[in-house]
Amino acid sequence: MRIKWSTILPHLVLTVFSLAILLPLVWVLRVSLTDKLTAYRIPPEIGHIGLENYVEIFSVYPFERWFFNSLLVALLSTAISLPLATAMAYAFARFNTGGAMLRLGVLASQMLPPIILVLPLFTLFFTTGLMQTHLGLVLSHLTISLPFLAWMLVSFFEGDSASLEEAARIDGATRWQAFIKIAVPVAAPGILAAGLLGFILSWNEFLFALVLSGASTQTLPIGLASMETHAGVEIAPLAAATVVSLLPVFALLPFLRKYLIKGLSLGALK
Amino acid sequence: MFKKLLLGSVVALGFTGSAMAETVNILMEGVPDTQFVKELIPEFTKETGIEVNLEVVNYAEMHTKLVPQLVSPQGSYSAIVVDFYWVGEFVKAGWMQPLDERIKADNFDTSVYVPALMDLVGQVDGTTYMLPFYNYAMGLTYRTDLLADAQNQADFKAKYGMDLKVPATWDEYLKQVEFFTKDGMHGVVNQGLRPDPIAMEWSNYLFANGGTYHDADWNPTLNNEAGVKAVEQYKTMIDKFGPVGSASFSFDEAFNVMAQGKAYSYITYNFFRTAYDDPSKSAVVGKVEIMPVPGPTPEQGGSLNGAWGWAIPKSSPNPDAAWTFLKWVESKEIAKKRALAGGSPTRTDVFDDPDLNAKYAYFPALKQMLLTSHNFPVFTYTPQLVEVLGRELSLAVAGEKSPSDALAAIEAEMAELARKDGKLK
Amino acid sequence: MSGIKASAADRRDARFGYVLAAPSLTVLFLIILFPVLSALYTSLHEYTLIAPNFDIFTGFDNFRLALADAEFRHSAWLTIRFVIGVVLLEFVIGFGIALMLNKVERFKPIYYAILLCPLLMNPVIVGLIWRMFLHPNLGIVNYLLSTVGLGPVNWLGDTKIAIWTVIMVDIWHQVSFMIVLLLAGLASLPKEPYEAARVDGANAFQCFIHITLPMMRTVIIVTLLIRLIFAVKTYDLIYIMTRGGPGVATDLVSYFIYRTAFVGLNIGEASAMSIILLTAILGLTAYLYRYMRSIR
Repeated sequence: MRIKWSTILPHLVLTVFSLAILLPLVWVLRVSLTDKLTAYRIPPEIGHIGLENYVEIFSVYPFERWFFNSLLVALLSTAISLPLATAMAYAFARFNTGGAMLRLGVLASQMLPPIILVLPLFTLFFTTGLMQTHLGLVLSHLTISLPFLAWMLVSFFEGDSASLEEAARIDGATRWQAFIKIAVPVAAPGILAAGLLGFILSWNEFLFALVLSGASTQTLPIGLASMETHAGVEIAPLAAATVVSLLPVFALLPFLRKYLIKGLSLGALK
Repeated sequence: MFKKLLLGSVVALGFTGSAMAETVNILMEGVPDTQFVKELIPEFTKETGIEVNLEVVNYAEMHTKLVPQLVSPQGSYSAIVVDFYWVGEFVKAGWMQPLDERIKADNFDTSVYVPALMDLVGQVDGTTYMLPFYNYAMGLTYRTDLLADAQNQADFKAKYGMDLKVPATWDEYLKQVEFFTKDGMHGVVNQGLRPDPIAMEWSNYLFANGGTYHDADWNPTLNNEAGVKAVEQYKTMIDKFGPVGSASFSFDEAFNVMAQGKAYSYITYNFFRTAYDDPSKSAVVGKVEIMPVPGPTPEQGGSLNGAWGWAIPKSSPNPDAAWTFLKWVESKEIAKKRALAGGSPTRTDVFDDPDLNAKYAYFPALKQMLLTSHNFPVFTYTPQLVEVLGRELSLAVAGEKSPSDALAAIEAEMAELARKDGKLK
Repeated sequence: MSGIKASAADRRDARFGYVLAAPSLTVLFLIILFPVLSALYTSLHEYTLIAPNFDIFTGFDNFRLALADAEFRHSAWLTIRFVIGVVLLEFVIGFGIALMLNKVERFKPIYYAILLCPLLMNPVIVGLIWRMFLHPNLGIVNYLLSTVGLGPVNWLGDTKIAIWTVIMVDIWHQVSFMIVLLLAGLASLPKEPYEAARVDGANAFQCFIHITLPMMRTVIIVTLLIRLIFAVKTYDLIYIMTRGGPGVATDLVSYFIYRTAFVGLNIGEASAMSIILLTAILGLTAYLYRYMRSIR
């Protein structure tokens, strides 16, 4: 009886939590299938149902361009920042590179409100021709993800893989091999989580993307925000756009299955 | 991939530089007219061979995007649109090119614009910096079907001893608000969110009570009978006659209350008039009309004026092409097409156009509204004044400050800002 | 191993560390160093957008003005309470959920995918959507409350409730951030200590207190720290949901700095405020960092 209870309780808690997250999103889905009039009807009515909002986000708004820009910038900045941050985090954790000052200094820029950084950043990008380009956006997002990812990852390298690495070094492995072949696999859960969060940081970044993007490089957050107009919020198309922009999560499901259940147990090997 | 990106950046640099004069980059915010301009652009490209690149951002975030562009000696945008809030700031900082020589050279007639709009988003101290693009003067939107109802008319007469009709004065309107707050209906809905929704809406209350912001020498004139009455009335509206929560409503929430048929009246931007007739947004199609906000007497209006203007920034990479676009988009023909699509015009000849008056019965009311409307103080620190108003009025509505304390605080900060700007000696 | 040999290995270790850190540091120095130094320099000058030049050196006047500004102090104090509120609540909920997730195998990817959804939404969208839900008269939340005889709750228009509403929405949006990191931390814990403890007859609670918590300490501190830095910078949610109102009930410091810079046009003072903020967070970070070192 006790054993059974302890397997059910987590599922119970997780179901309640998932519903708390999901129910608002279900309501967003509903709003995406109707019009503004029905969306605000109280008590709720079935009202009008249709797919016009989904058509509208592609015909009136350049949704596919926003989406593509966001995906490109977020993927590229993660692809660049994850290996770089992993290497820096390892250096911090294992060799105490630069000491506490460097570690704090790297993070310090992120403690300033971005609004203060945006004017000089604009000047810098304009003079180097990076203004309104994808590359410029990627670089600006690197300045956010590199420090955070490095900090997240330091704690994953400070576990007890050090002794494993030493053993490997005695067996003749180079420093690089010890890093790549032992430290990285042991820290894999952390690296995956950091990669995910790095993608999310870039995907949602607003202020740099607002100031540094142009008509052809506008990202999803800037585009979606433009649906809040001087004549009110285009809430129904906005809901449709939100739904479409969440679909990639479900494309991740097979990946998650593989890495959450099999991949994460890598860490337990040690 | 990287090579492609680098290549992309070089191409984008070409766009921002002055080399490609045949593309006009314009930064706009989402207003109804933006969409109408967008739809007409192929005509312009066909006529002139100039490509137009419209970039639309959130209306409230536009200033943030614009400022770095304007501070920079060279920017990305050929032309921009300017809210009246920013006019003083932009002129003081020298961010806009004077248009007078271009206007003269091309005989572009600026006398067709409604004078109040030309004062607001056209000329500053005799120099023309902008062409008025569209107006958002505020009006009183109200439910015609409730006014026409025989039972309501009889009840109103019995209660107040006067006929229930389109209100001629502010006091008459206030009685109607009280009267219609019954049976789950609200007499009014307000937009009490900081800073601009509340500051803009409350300005109508100030003018409707015969108040003003400042005298000819920029001495603030708010903390007096008219000002205190305006704050008290505003608070009463929110607390007694409006729906719960209107102290934090932006215009979207307030519009929805009205559009769902739950309020008798709402003082708001005139372009919402078209939205009431959109069956995908409104349950009161054909039942809402707009009029100038009534003033202390039937001859005076209480409406607040507001508008956006087209401008060419100093940092424009190709001002000549930008001017070609401005001339075209503000021509009678295009201005009329935009108005026919549902835009908010700025030219008197468009307001007087028979086709438009045939299509939109409320056009004379809109024109009347503009002619009797009042302008908000325009100086370098207008946005800061709006912030101060928003904060203090919100505190007064929340009951954390008395009306006269709030007004005294506004006066003090307003005087300081006006002094800093050299307006107040 | 002789001393000379060891120090040669140490030197090679140190060099290897710098080689690994170099690419990241290069990117950071190239892009962010200039803006940060520029903010420092600007804070010492009378620099406004109307007159964007460094002609007038004012020393620490901007700092004095900022600290003397009652509105700045109010928003700083409010921010401290807001940050403690969201970070602690999100940590408690997030750690609880992470522990549960670490226990289950079935449906794990589904739970995980669901909790990622809010994270992929921009704060602007989250704000707009919750404004719709929380509309006092036309929103679904108050409608559901009314069916059980509650409300209407004035979610954003009441000076006492508004800040809690914002905190609630922030938790809905950001709690998963904690879960993702804490779960990764839990997943990388070694299994042996638990097995040893079970042999000694420890129950689940004892295991949690004596094994999980100590081994998770650095991950927990870093998670709290990163979430804290983000929470201090919260401005989009405020901007969309309340604009600091009603009254000044939700006027968080980042939104205040934003207004000083781009509405007040006073970049000098805004920079000074930012640096005050930076100093405060950096001090806290340094303290936590030392605490983290001391327990190793």
